[in-house]
Amino acid sequence: MLKSMMTAAVLGVATLTTMPAAALAEDLTGKVVKFGAIVPASGPFAEWGRANTVALKMLEKQVNDAGGINGAKMEITIYDDGAKPAQAVSMLRKLADDDKVLAVAGPATSSAAEVVFPVANELGIVSVSQNSSKPGVAAANRPWAFRNTVDEAKLATVVVPYFAKTFNVKTAAIIYDAKDATASSAGTKIFPKLLADNGIENLDADTPISFNTGDLDVSAQVTKLRSLQPDAVVLSADYSQAITVLREMKRQGMKTPVVGSTQLMSSAILAAYPELPIVAPTTFFAGLDVPAVKAFAEAATPLMRAEKNLPKTIEPSLFDANIYEIVSLFVQAVKETGVTADPANLAADREKIRDYMASESDFDGLGGKVRFAEDGDAIKSFFIVQAMDGKWTSLETACSSPEAGACDQ
Amino acid sequence: MGVSIFIQQVLNGLTLGAVYTLIALAFSLVMGILGILNLAISEIFMIGAFVGFSLITAGVPVWIALIGAMIAAALVSIVIARIGYEPLRNANHITPMLSTLGFSMILQNLATNTWGSDPMQLTLEGWLETRFSFGLVSLSVVQIVVFVVTVGLCVLTALLIQRTDIGRALRAVAENREISRILGVRPRRMILVAFALSGLLAGAAGVLVGLHYSVITPYIGVEIGLKAIAVMIVGGATNIWGALLAGPLIGILEVLTVAYGGAAMRDFVVYGFMIVILLVRPQGLLGGSSKTSGGRV
Repeated sequence: MLKSMMTAAVLGVATLTTMPAAALAEDLTGKVVKFGAIVPASGPFAEWGRANTVALKMLEKQVNDAGGINGAKMEITIYDDGAKPAQAVSMLRKLADDDKVLAVAGPATSSAAEVVFPVANELGIVSVSQNSSKPGVAAANRPWAFRNTVDEAKLATVVVPYFAKTFNVKTAAIIYDAKDATASSAGTKIFPKLLADNGIENLDADTPISFNTGDLDVSAQVTKLRSLQPDAVVLSADYSQAITVLREMKRQGMKTPVVGSTQLMSSAILAAYPELPIVAPTTFFAGLDVPAVKAFAEAATPLMRAEKNLPKTIEPSLFDANIYEIVSLFVQAVKETGVTADPANLAADREKIRDYMASESDFDGLGGKVRFAEDGDAIKSFFIVQAMDGKWTSLETACSSPEAGACDQ
Repeated sequence: MGVSIFIQQVLNGLTLGAVYTLIALAFSLVMGILGILNLAISEIFMIGAFVGFSLITAGVPVWIALIGAMIAAALVSIVIARIGYEPLRNANHITPMLSTLGFSMILQNLATNTWGSDPMQLTLEGWLETRFSFGLVSLSVVQIVVFVVTVGLCVLTALLIQRTDIGRALRAVAENREISRILGVRPRRMILVAFALSGLLAGAAGVLVGLHYSVITPYIGVEIGLKAIAVMIVGGATNIWGALLAGPLIGILEVLTVAYGGAAMRDFVVYGFMIVILLVRPQGLLGGSSKTSGGRV
């Protein structure tokens, strides 16, 4: 039952477009279609990379069990960059030059994407990040760079006024990870501006409160936050660092509602301070009441929990959904654009995938339609969610593009 | 409010400093007696934290978890001594240090593969949750436990080194390995004892950190370990009480710098202070003259 549901979901995700595709479809029987992926399977974000790997292997099996791509077997070569930018560049070169893959999903982090994307442009291969959300990273590296994520600034523009209204916020204090590219950008630029735009007094505007990636002791920072007595705390940090702050807030008895970016989205956050309202935007969460999401979560969750290096309580994250969508989109591109999977046509095949990514507007992702704007970032629906009773609950749905009907089903 | 917040920050600094003290002692036991910097201590501390966390999560009482983690850390330390130090003891000073650096990488990878890279969280229950509030100042039972255990272990270590046969043997080996052998001391055994004691202290520090912050990752060792080295240098590697003085001093200095100057200034101030001490009093605040520091075995 589950298998048939998943096959249906994959077919829905990966082969949605109809008539024009059939006209261009190549018979690839007997060939191998190769994609690459760069994930952080070791280092500080190892959980992300390992869960990404499970999602990709699941997709590979689903596609091949369903007959492959126009008869060809799909292979995903997955490399670990340890969340190190230099290593990510090496992996991209290896995938492009040695493994001769058609397109690459990854790298994950913004700091890796900032150095990998220019190399993708040089090599002429599509690189699509599954995590990066620091503003402008794909836009600075067109035309081969894409991100299946939404710029944090676009998300925060909707989240901050909603949060302010819901929790009657007049004053706020920001705490951010100064060594994380995305967190620092959001903490020093995006959130201060949005607080001002929404008439919220930023209590630590003159002396910003920050910490560094890897810090375990943030007691001084939280005591300082407490002394400011804000109505809300803006927490701009990746979830693993945010947990340290939330735990310290709990230890010091601080009960101020928290708002943050997509970086907070993790099941691990739910256990950090269950009594505290924590609000964040996301394009996916495992509890979303959408058939494709349910099928994906039901198939991926047991596989992830069976991995010995992943927590037994893990659920697929938005980054797993993102990388699953990215490779599904590659699959659809091969099916519909006449990609030959012939090593002699590698450059032309890669261009076809790039052009398809840039022009496609009818791809059904897990949480809704996905397409890419001119800046290389995804246009998709997103949800404002709150950590509540040990799970994420959707409060509001919005579209990352102000364009009318951009996210319509 | 200003005074209350200042007092709270000092308490934060004292707690942090207590942890630094124990790890600094672990460093100085090996440094002072064997004359090498065992860089794996940072990760032995981390392993102690994970073992303690795992035991507490499995329902083992905190005190037993503390002892269990100390023993586990001591065993890891002994393995490092046998494989990473002993075969290299006649090599250049830098060689065993690099060997321990290699072990620290292995331990970090081992922890990532065993417990994952996600933060491991602990929910404190019962008496460990208790907090005492005095206006804006609050002090938890766990903080008191951290202070008491730290001071207790410092006193026990000092008594062991200064008043027992093992301590005398350790000091004899530190002074001159060959003469100590003539006097009946077995240097190889004493090397293992020094490493084991160092592991016990680092393991205890790991459990205390886990209890206090309720969250650990496989990457907590590096940052705290480097600060502990600074504490050892500031306090004096040859004096146990030096760590007990310098730990809280560095802890408070660090916390007040973050609170009143910003996190960006923290490392500049802490390591700047260490460099000043190295320049004006290289033996540390309570260290003897450089001639009294342990010779290398």
